[in-house]
Amino acid sequence: MSRPVTGPVTGRALLPALAVLCAVLFAASVLTGPADAGARASLVALFRGDGGPLTLVMREIRLPRAVLGVLAGASLGLAGAAIQGFLRNPLAEPGLIGVSASAGLGAVLAIQTGIAATGALALPLSGFAGALVAVALILGLSARSGDALDAGRGGGFGLILAGIAVSAFAGALTSLVLNLSPNPFAASEIVFWMMGSLADRSWIEVWTALPVMAVGWVLLARTARDLDALTLGEEAAASLGVNLPRLRLLTVLGIAAAVGATTAVAGAIGFVGLVVPHLLRGAVGGVPSRLLPASALGGAALVLAADIAVRLILPERDLKLGVMMALVGTPVFLHLIHRIRHGA
Amino acid sequence: MKPALTLDRLTVRRGGVAVVSDVSLRVMPGSFVGLIGPNGAGKTTLLRAALGLIPAEGQSDLAALDPGARARRAAYLPQARDVAWPIAVETLVRLGRRAHPDRREDAAAVADALSRMDLTHLARRPATALSGGELARALIARLIAQDTPLILADEPEAGLDPAHEMAVMQLLARLAGQGRAVVASMHDLGMAARWCDRLVLMDRGRVVADGPPKAVLTPGNLQGSFGVSGAFLDSPAGPVFVTLPPRPMPTPDPANGL
Repeated sequence: MSRPVTGPVTGRALLPALAVLCAVLFAASVLTGPADAGARASLVALFRGDGGPLTLVMREIRLPRAVLGVLAGASLGLAGAAIQGFLRNPLAEPGLIGVSASAGLGAVLAIQTGIAATGALALPLSGFAGALVAVALILGLSARSGDALDAGRGGGFGLILAGIAVSAFAGALTSLVLNLSPNPFAASEIVFWMMGSLADRSWIEVWTALPVMAVGWVLLARTARDLDALTLGEEAAASLGVNLPRLRLLTVLGIAAAVGATTAVAGAIGFVGLVVPHLLRGAVGGVPSRLLPASALGGAALVLAADIAVRLILPERDLKLGVMMALVGTPVFLHLIHRIRHGA
Repeated sequence: MKPALTLDRLTVRRGGVAVVSDVSLRVMPGSFVGLIGPNGAGKTTLLRAALGLIPAEGQSDLAALDPGARARRAAYLPQARDVAWPIAVETLVRLGRRAHPDRREDAAAVADALSRMDLTHLARRPATALSGGELARALIARLIAQDTPLILADEPEAGLDPAHEMAVMQLLARLAGQGRAVVASMHDLGMAARWCDRLVLMDRGRVVADGPPKAVLTPGNLQGSFGVSGAFLDSPAGPVFVTLPPRPMPTPDPANGL
């Protein structure tokens, strides 16, 4: 009675099922790579540590890559569920508030100026700086443009406008950097970086991004109950006791931390935050608070799967994760539009 | 007895224009107040300002509360009826329990609200798959599940078929009879006259009449605020109020014929 009937995998079975899927894909990711070693030998090298080159490959290349895939995917999936819940719109995605574009700009500037070459932390830290500037701008702009309830267009409307402005400006500045880049090698490095990838990442990226992402996850987890009430609209939610300005602050800061950190270490990976909440919404009965953890696990699974796919499809060519995701994401996006238009 | 709602000289300005002007109102427990007035009279704005959802000058005892305490004191049904996600009707109704600290009472309150709104058979249906009238009832069930001493509703009867419109008004009247206070904006003057014990007539942001239905629905008020006339007629179920076309203006020049 207390548990609504939902999809094929319902209620309490959903999260464990997604967790198992993540675990399987994680293992597959660790076992996938150009170093041609058997699964058994790879696992022995990973856990026992024979000190040979295979141990190095497993522990310093494949393991951090898979861990980063989980972290990035969970951040993007969680942020996507939160922004869709906050804006009450299934077409919203975390990049909408301009944090990805700004983190990207920070990283691009670091590559262009050569700061990125000064240390392993320089690139992600520049990305964080870009995300921080974006958050300050978005909060400043949206607080002025649409805070109060106004004919059903409350804080969400102001946030979209501010996000579009910040995204467009960061995108323009990124193009300007490429445009004026005197160094073709830097330009090509920037272009490849912007495509998004988990290749050649190390534990340094993991330990840099994880604390910031964790802050973002905690902030977004605290939006859960308010997002449920927001299902009925901003007015009804406010009358039910939701503090809308606080909710907006939690959502923006949470997404900025989770997605800013992801972009800073992995580049721009689109579509995860859009597609994953859409795919899982039916299975959680549409309830936003239940969609948050489900989308985090689903995002991790999707990024792990895509990162395995880029290594299997074109092992010789370094197919970028962001490109792969966009190729897979577009048909799903079209399907989403189709479903919305036909009222499913 | 302590009033359930006290507004003192509440004024809301939008772009320099007072859309609600100097409204003072006390609503006692047990009263079902119908807030009537033409489109744009300021009924919705008054309800929002009373709750403190929009900035206002003057005093509202509700707006002074913190959001959680206010949600236990007053439930609000806004006009906006769109539900963003396909949540089950039962889940939707349960949202009304948000501000209550004791989760153990939720199930009973939700089941009671569902059965009062004739929705028990639709409890598992996604809210987005309901008809307009069913959705309106689900949202009213949420209002009931919130279980507050004061209910503010913005056009609760909009979009309902005659039977369910009657049922909703009867329910609100019964809730008032049990000692709650209900303030509902409405356009159906006949329903308002039949079920409310007090009508507050607003026009251009001001309260222009306040009292029992017969004292408010006078020919002068009807003509002045709504541009219609109306009458209380006897029926087997007691006096009923009907709105009628405006009385023809006296023709100044008889030579002009009709």
